[in-house]
Amino acid sequence: MTTTQTGQTGTETRRQPRLTDGVDQDLRHLIPEGICRTFRVMPYASAGGTVLVAAADADDAITAHVVAERIDRPVQLVRHTVNEIVGAIDSVYPPQETEVESPEARRSRMQMAQMLTRSGLITDEQLQRAMLEYSRTGDPLGDILVSHEAITEDVLVAALSEMYQMQRVGLTDFTPDLEVARRLPEPLAHAFQAIPVAATDDLVLLAVARPLDAEQSAEVEEALGSPFRQLLANRTDLDQLIQRVHARHYAEVSTRLLMETRPEESAHVVISGGQKAGLVITAIFVVVCAVIWPMPTAIAVVGACSLLYLVVSFYKFRLTLRALGTHLETDVTDEEIAAIDERRLPIYTILVPLYKEAGIVPRLVRDINALDYPRTRLDVKLLCEEDDEETVQKIRDMQLPPHFHLVVVPDSQPKTKPKACNYGLQLATGSFCVIFDAEDRPDPDQLKKAVIAFSRVASNVVCVQAKLNHFNQDQNMLTAWFANEYSMHFELVLPAMGAAESPIPLGGTSNHFVTDKLRELGAWDPFNVTEDADLGIRLHREGYRTAMIDSTTLEEANSQVPNWIRQRSRWNKGYIQTWLVHMRNPFQLLAQTGLKGFLSFNLTMGSAFVLLLNPIFWALTTLYVFTQAGFIEQLFPGMIFYAASALLFVGNFVFVYLNVAGSLHRGEFGLTRTALLSPFYWGLMSWAAWKGFIQLFTNPFYWEKTEHGLDEGHS
Amino acid sequence: MSTPVVVHTKDRLSGVVQLVGRRPNDIERRWWESALVFAFFTIGYTWFGYWVVVDMHVVGFETLDRLNRALMVWHNDPAKLSAIGFDYPPLATLLIAPLAIFRGLVTSLAVVPLASAIFAAFTMVAFNTMMRRALIAGPLRYAVLLALGANPMVLLYATTGTRHFVWIALVVTALGGLFAWYITADVRFVMLSGIAFSIASIAGYTSLTFFVLSAIMIGAILARLGADGTEVEGTVVGFASPTVYVIALWTVFNFILLLRPFAWITRSSDAAASGGLETFSAVELLRATGQLVLYGAPIAIIVLPALVFAGVARGNPFALWLGVMLGASIVMPSAAVVLRLTDSPMLMRNALPILLISMIGAIWLARSADEGSTLVAALLVVALVISIPWTIQAMKTYRYQNLEAPFAAAITTGESQEGAETLAREKVGIFSEQAMAEYISNNVSRDNSILTDNAQTYAVMMLTGHPEWFFDRIDQSDGPWKIALRDPAAHGVLYLLMSTSDNGDLVTKLYADAAAGSDAQLQVVFRTPRYVLVSVPAGYKPGGVTTGQFGES
Repeated sequence: MTTTQTGQTGTETRRQPRLTDGVDQDLRHLIPEGICRTFRVMPYASAGGTVLVAAADADDAITAHVVAERIDRPVQLVRHTVNEIVGAIDSVYPPQETEVESPEARRSRMQMAQMLTRSGLITDEQLQRAMLEYSRTGDPLGDILVSHEAITEDVLVAALSEMYQMQRVGLTDFTPDLEVARRLPEPLAHAFQAIPVAATDDLVLLAVARPLDAEQSAEVEEALGSPFRQLLANRTDLDQLIQRVHARHYAEVSTRLLMETRPEESAHVVISGGQKAGLVITAIFVVVCAVIWPMPTAIAVVGACSLLYLVVSFYKFRLTLRALGTHLETDVTDEEIAAIDERRLPIYTILVPLYKEAGIVPRLVRDINALDYPRTRLDVKLLCEEDDEETVQKIRDMQLPPHFHLVVVPDSQPKTKPKACNYGLQLATGSFCVIFDAEDRPDPDQLKKAVIAFSRVASNVVCVQAKLNHFNQDQNMLTAWFANEYSMHFELVLPAMGAAESPIPLGGTSNHFVTDKLRELGAWDPFNVTEDADLGIRLHREGYRTAMIDSTTLEEANSQVPNWIRQRSRWNKGYIQTWLVHMRNPFQLLAQTGLKGFLSFNLTMGSAFVLLLNPIFWALTTLYVFTQAGFIEQLFPGMIFYAASALLFVGNFVFVYLNVAGSLHRGEFGLTRTALLSPFYWGLMSWAAWKGFIQLFTNPFYWEKTEHGLDEGHS
Repeated sequence: MSTPVVVHTKDRLSGVVQLVGRRPNDIERRWWESALVFAFFTIGYTWFGYWVVVDMHVVGFETLDRLNRALMVWHNDPAKLSAIGFDYPPLATLLIAPLAIFRGLVTSLAVVPLASAIFAAFTMVAFNTMMRRALIAGPLRYAVLLALGANPMVLLYATTGTRHFVWIALVVTALGGLFAWYITADVRFVMLSGIAFSIASIAGYTSLTFFVLSAIMIGAILARLGADGTEVEGTVVGFASPTVYVIALWTVFNFILLLRPFAWITRSSDAAASGGLETFSAVELLRATGQLVLYGAPIAIIVLPALVFAGVARGNPFALWLGVMLGASIVMPSAAVVLRLTDSPMLMRNALPILLISMIGAIWLARSADEGSTLVAALLVVALVISIPWTIQAMKTYRYQNLEAPFAAAITTGESQEGAETLAREKVGIFSEQAMAEYISNNVSRDNSILTDNAQTYAVMMLTGHPEWFFDRIDQSDGPWKIALRDPAAHGVLYLLMSTSDNGDLVTKLYADAAAGSDAQLQVVFRTPRYVLVSVPAGYKPGGVTTGQFGES
């Protein structure tokens, strides 16, 4: 009998318990199933404080190391036959037919490992890590190694070509014959990652990422109408080729899909004919009244504005109180995340729109790679505009592993983030997808939390919104205010809205979708400059809901006023745009969302109008304090004065305190002081609101780009 | 294969001693139980209060004054928010303003008990929640609530519309929030407590003392638990900012309107004060304080040392803090005398906050007693029950008081107190006001036709339900009113309503003869023991000049 003791002692020979004597109940689950099956090990007995672990290859250093890492006692590997060990594993972890590696697959994996280690392409440590990830996910060992950049995709393709005895094809500088390339319809090309690269009368040469199985082959042959031969290609190159071949189609869909299928929900027309007529009639009515009854008209206008102000304030306060009173997010615990079976994790698409942000790409890649999610199940789309050559080149130069996909969106109008996202969505392979901005830093476990949340929420929840906040909140006063505002919005207001099943204006990033449902909804409106908010309302109208999860994505807060104003003006313009779109037919909106949803939508969007009113009310109050002007008194008779007074005392207090409460709720104790000065921030908000409002008429679809990377190393 | 570092939310919060962002293990929410407690006490106190006020005629004039102001908020000509004035903390009137939307409810006096019953019931809900957090069993909780609710001091102030339960309810709620915070460490309770204190601070300025002590306690407890400076500062700022904001805004408002930023303190007075400020020696103050506690809140005599013992000997900082709060509530009445902040020294109503803070202390002691909590709660019930006859007896004789003696007489004899005198020699009852109001209602209907000093005749105004009939000091502020006072006929005034007692009525001072019924031109059209209504002839000029400018009289 040969035994190997790892770590603590050397080899010894004496009579020891065998696996056939039975598996100790206390030890049987010491090593997770995936590792047991991958490394063919099973802890089964304890002798003199040492745990005896049956191993098929007791001399393998990697196996010894992996086992020792998982058991906090001295371990001794005891050689057993494969059959003995597999039998023991099957008794401890009854096998699920679909999850157990077939003998062929195991042979392939071992062959791949041997090929790469013997040729010196990977180290033992890299192999060990890859094997461990394999034990958790069951994903191909080669793909794991490539995703962690232990080997390149070209090396893997070479290895696979050797294993499968298939020819390879290089596509780096390949110029496709579009007629040939488009013989395979786009859906199949996209689904199977395959594209015809050459054809004769009786044979098509088909570049594939991985060998097609029989069923896929039959489907492809039928679509091509002729036999084909598969050539293995680099996945990144193949992906780029498919994009180039079908670029026109993707561009067309990303711009026109919503506009053509649901024109009434698209913001390509800012104000509908009916709305124009309504606004003109209202304006004429007000002007006529103002001429005939100037003071009563002015009082009525002031009264209406005060009322709007009051109900918006009250609504926000009510939401906040509700959020303070209880925990409204869908909770996912650390234990649940730790217990997740990674073999069942779906492919997750991450859409990252980039524009003139070459400098940020390395950090972005680093942060995405830091996510606690198997890289082999990530489908990261880096969405670049065609004219942004610097960013495109930067990504190419980085030679990223194939879970990163460079997507170049052809130059066309409107050049907006939602159009880029629509483009990327067509290429998405994930069951779920999420948007992150280039500078975003999501909590590492956010994707897993979202997956668990989706499995737990009602079936009509198709979107899970994570919280947003800032990593450079301490940079200056502006970033601190911004963090106050986000804390209030994402810690209190949105969770309360989510719990109340109200239409949620989604945040710009970190909204996780069920991909199919998102496509069904027509995805984002490329003409709306707050496409996120619009989509939140649209999905609610269709009967779907949004839930909040307790996970945060840190963004870069705008630290410079002009840049901040640009960003905020776009948001306000978009809010008004969204309000106009959804109020084209208020009765239909009411029918679809119910009274509660209808009111919530209008009160939420109403905050954009409140920002427009602020300077007017501030001016009136200031003027009155200094002049006691009689005409101002006349503007606020009786009840209107009460409403205005309530706003002065309660409204201001509410909005200041919401900022304080949001920051406290988040545990950002250092920000509570700045929250007290937030009225100054409101001044900036109103400035931006007016800029956006004016732009709605002068340049409605213009996307005020936010410049990132101004955080001066605060990251 | 490198592993970059991204700061996780959990890492950021690892040094935070409080629970943020998630719900702790706390008691289950039972809105129905709170609703039942609220409904029970609101209905009970309103029903009992209606008997006390309408049948027994035990009603404080301060309550009528506030209700009249509330009425003016809605029904004056023009409707005036400024009617709330500066004599009372603004929310003491504003919070009951909704009760005055319907005139009929005010004139029937049905809202008088309701104006305090609601807040007393709210206090009981806060106590019930506190007792649930203290893990006191249901039957004992209800026994404690009933025993406390039946305390004669509580009964008096819960049923007669007084403003004291307005701020007390909010302070108890705020302290309940801190009670919950200490148990759960959930920072949200600090915020909720801060909001409650901010409302309490402009419903009763006394609450500011409890607020300051609470802010200090929060900082001290956090520091003791090892929180860093940022957490301590942020939490205290989050707690204090609503109150600081509210007080700052109220100060600015006072400055804008009165050019006296601190008028909210200097002009605030107890409308139903028992007399001028006496001079107290230290020994007298000590004795008066002892009597106040002994007669008004005897359980404090046991609870205070118990809290101090638990705090010092058993390392229970929350008990110590409650002890400090209770001590402060005991010391405050005499401090107000020393600082000359009151003209109504050592009033028995000062025992009410002492009693209620003693209750919080007792509940905390029950919670701290672990297995002995049931025994502590049972002892609390016994003490509260025993104190009922004791306090009733004390109310009849305690020297410094408002309506305690008539109230005690009413509930022990069941006889109306109309015409009785308080120990401060003030008449009890509202027959006089009702009679004058009835006459006015039957004979006057023109807006602004009765010129009156509303600071003295508010009760009549309120009982008419029509403040718009009166040309008062609120309508156009004091300046125009005083001009009209000197030439009432020129301002469309048909009547002068005056108080006959020498209590500072400006109309009575200027038209003393008319008030006495000896002015030939200003004929008395109706008189009651406390009021007189005289007619103002058209063209009347004070000094006996009658012009034909406005027609012959």
